Amino acid sequence: MPKRNSSPDTARRAFLKGATLAGAAALTTPVAANMPVSDAPRANVKAAVPGPRLATVETMPPPKDPVSQSTSGGDFMVDVLKTLDIDYLAMNCASSFRGLHEAVLNHGGNIKPEILTCPHEEIAVHMAQGYAKIEGKPMAMICHGVVGLQHATMAMYNAWCDRVPVIVMGGNIIEANKRGPGAEWVHSAIDPAAIVRDFVKWDDQPTSLQHFAESAVRAYKIAMTPPMAPVMLSLDAELQENPIADAETLRIPKLSKAIPPQGDSAALAELAKLLVNAETPVIICDRMARTPAGMTQLVELAETLQCAVIDNAGRMNFPSRHPLNQSFGRSIIRQADIIVAMEVNELWGSLNAFSDRIVRSSRLNYKPGAKIITLGSRDLYMKSNYQDFGRYQEVDLAISGDAEASLPTLIEEVKRLIDDGKKSAFAARGKRLEVAKTAAVEQAKSDATIGWDASPITTARLCAEVYGQIKDEDWSMVGTSIRLTWPHRLWNFDKPYRWNGVSGGAGIGYNLPASLGAALANKRHGRLTLSIGGDGDFMFVPSTLWTAAHHSIPMLYILQNNRAYHQEYMYLQATAARHGRGITNTEIGTTIKDPNVDYATVARGFGVYGEGPITDPNDLGPALKRAIAVVKSGQPALVDVVTDPR
Amino acid sequence: MTHHTARIARIGNFAAVVFSTAACAALGWAAVALAEGAGSGDVAKGRSVYLAVGCFECHGRAGQGGAMNYPAPALAKIEMPVESFVAYLRNAPNDMPAYTANVLSDADASDIWAFLQSLPGRKPVKDFPLLN
Repeated sequence: MPKRNSSPDTARRAFLKGATLAGAAALTTPVAANMPVSDAPRANVKAAVPGPRLATVETMPPPKDPVSQSTSGGDFMVDVLKTLDIDYLAMNCASSFRGLHEAVLNHGGNIKPEILTCPHEEIAVHMAQGYAKIEGKPMAMICHGVVGLQHATMAMYNAWCDRVPVIVMGGNIIEANKRGPGAEWVHSAIDPAAIVRDFVKWDDQPTSLQHFAESAVRAYKIAMTPPMAPVMLSLDAELQENPIADAETLRIPKLSKAIPPQGDSAALAELAKLLVNAETPVIICDRMARTPAGMTQLVELAETLQCAVIDNAGRMNFPSRHPLNQSFGRSIIRQADIIVAMEVNELWGSLNAFSDRIVRSSRLNYKPGAKIITLGSRDLYMKSNYQDFGRYQEVDLAISGDAEASLPTLIEEVKRLIDDGKKSAFAARGKRLEVAKTAAVEQAKSDATIGWDASPITTARLCAEVYGQIKDEDWSMVGTSIRLTWPHRLWNFDKPYRWNGVSGGAGIGYNLPASLGAALANKRHGRLTLSIGGDGDFMFVPSTLWTAAHHSIPMLYILQNNRAYHQEYMYLQATAARHGRGITNTEIGTTIKDPNVDYATVARGFGVYGEGPITDPNDLGPALKRAIAVVKSGQPALVDVVTDPR
Repeated sequence: MTHHTARIARIGNFAAVVFSTAACAALGWAAVALAEGAGSGDVAKGRSVYLAVGCFECHGRAGQGGAMNYPAPALAKIEMPVESFVAYLRNAPNDMPAYTANVLSDADASDIWAFLQSLPGRKPVKDFPLLN
């Protein structure tokens, strides 16, 4: 690789200071050491007096086989990760990346990145997913060759569907003649990333350290460019472990982040005109807020227009109690004459009602003739195999560009077009929406009173009790179990970090580790992290709790324990009813009973404070209070709450 | 991971389904006059059947409602007439399974209705400090 003419950053070259080429001799193993040992049967003979040849062999110096080296490729890789400001490296240890692992510890001082010990690669990737959404930058993870990556795949798919950057690395041994017999063969591949190529944005297998440096910087840049996604680097074990052979020529390229693309200015002006002249404009948003500024900008646009916002909750897009938030009054979509979808992946699902019946059918949920406009980066990048893009939705104007990056221009255009007459009409519209919002909140509160004292505890009571304990804290709710909408109906999500979206791919085993990753990001900000997760999700990745305890990551994890894979229970029940074959057997294969799991004891076994199982709703408040005290002391806590199914 | 993926594949988009209230309106539970047969049915037996056949899995043990892919409405203090209720069960829309007489008799359905009507239902929000 040619050297750059510009003077390299000395910090980025720091790794070279201690480098020597002393270990280079290790690359050349004497032929004698590789001589095959004869396996021919030998006669059981008596010891003979050494002859001249044997005497020579026994008295000659040992073959040249260096036993130490003063630098390694892994050191350089660590310096690259430091340059990229990677805070954490989540992993489950494995021999195929022992070179990098050791370098992180002893060359890098286990700082930037700091190792997060995870009992499963799925936990590592999901931690990175949750972390990135709070912190706004990727975490790295590394997994074992082949089998470790296979463990990681589902979580990578979740991150892919969720448009979240994760730097995934995996060990490998490229050269066949360098692999030891057994495990090193079954854990090597000629194209390790093949298994994940459908759901990473880019991948590479560097063959030199300079190649690694450039690919690592490129990977970071690609992962962070909207639409964001995981990337993957396969790391040859020899490249990690062996001495640096070309220290003088190595350099770490400068990272230049891509500016998120803004939508075409003429198209945004056209959109502004449509919005200002609409009678009932509705904004639908999903993974819109890419940074904390996104929510502020969307509020400004909505308030300027006094229009309804439907938040699909893929990110913390819009305050839950804002008068214009009509997420629980979706019938307004049917009144809309202009619908603007911002970073909505599967718009068809938001605009159509689908019936899962013997004959599957659908119907429009919007007014025929309504203009539909999309603003987002999804159209800029798509793959074909996995079908996360959803059904094709006809639209009138598709503006390709990052929605958050486009909002300032759109707001400016909208403001430019509004006169006093419009302001008055908008204010009246806003009043109507405020009335509807107030009614929706009151309805939610009234609904929550049903079964208030019931046992198992209703999910509404659970969420009301939790909010009662955290509402005066600087809280961050980073995950929920499937279909649990009570927090968004009852709580005031009013800051960018109050909510952290969902899994993306609906792959079970996301909520606990992703919440822990988010909690790690929140830790430095002093926020109280909490999450409500299902027992089914927990059962996939319970050892996440060990990581929480080991790294002292404060998080209140509330287990919504309905003792079932409940969504599937309902599907099975519906199927049995459809077939008319009885509906009383559907507990088989769908429930987590007999025996019931004592999750608090499980938590304590992993070194985490555990409360429960709580079945009396009146016990819930005090238990939460005790658990929160533990969390505020800097440790994780779990509260197992036995709830009604939904 | 194949079994995982297959199992969750139909869970669908959190946002698209969780917040949908369209089905509630379609079900038309509200503002229906009391049935002529109000008061009929065995409450205790109805509770037993309600739990045995899994109505509570979507609608809650207290009839508080829940969600599958669409919201499952609250049924406590149901106002729908018993005849309409039974007819509804036989040809339920959206997520709601249609229960034929083979799996749920008219008598059992009437008992369920009686149980639902006996439930306390909503209470004044002002009585709940956590909701204010």
